[in-house]
Amino acid sequence: MSQQKTLSQNKEALLKSYNKRMKDDIKSMVDNFIEIIKLARVPQDEDSQVLRPLQNNQDQYEMHVRACNVVRAGECLMKLISDIKQYLVLNDFPSINEAISQNTRFDKNMQNECDSRLCLLRDDVASELYELEEEYYSSAYK
Amino acid sequence: MAALTQRLKELDDIERDITTAMQSAGQAILELSKDKPSLKQVESQTSNFVKTLENVENGLTKHITYLTQVSTGQAHEGSSYASQKDLSMAWHRIHHARARLMELERLKNKHMQ
Repeated sequence: MSQQKTLSQNKEALLKSYNKRMKDDIKSMVDNFIEIIKLARVPQDEDSQVLRPLQNNQDQYEMHVRACNVVRAGECLMKLISDIKQYLVLNDFPSINEAISQNTRFDKNMQNECDSRLCLLRDDVASELYELEEEYYSSAYK
Repeated sequence: MAALTQRLKELDDIERDITTAMQSAGQAILELSKDKPSLKQVESQTSNFVKTLENVENGLTKHITYLTQVSTGQAHEGSSYASQKDLSMAWHRIHHARARLMELERLKNKHMQ
């Protein structure tokens, strides 16, 4: 009972972590993109308290870092989708049940076909043996 | 089985949406880097980026909610092993009969010569 409870809690924790990862990554993508757009604004001289070239360099580095953050968040989302796919394949019980019953049906059909062919073969061999037996008993070898 | 394939396909589409969103973001920044950026273009690419990300979020939330409903946290213990074993035994019966018939044919050929 307690084991079942633990499993259920683990499952809930995992799915919650998926939700959190998704929200964090999407927020990171949007926030970093907005910051890049903000940085693209050319600052007025009176806005800036540092030298213009220095400010430009700083903006350039910040843009690089934020662009990398967008790409990283995108990759994390891809990884999340891969995890969800794996979880779906392993834990989607209705689909697994359907796949198992489909395989079982296929196997049973094949087995019935094999057995019916074997029965036909048996009947053929039995009738041949009957004829051979008659031939043997009416021959000189008897 | 078809439902699972459909869900995996939907996840593939979401993956494509992520790349589309990143492409839109890149296009928007590329437009801004021009000497005379077209504001309309930037706005359309940005709204495309935001819209696609919303689609991604909605799609993923839907899938995660579905997983919450169908999974139990325990491993599935069903299998089609029994029927596979039965089928394999049927194959063995067929192969055995075939081997015996071939032996019979070999004997027949031997006596025909």
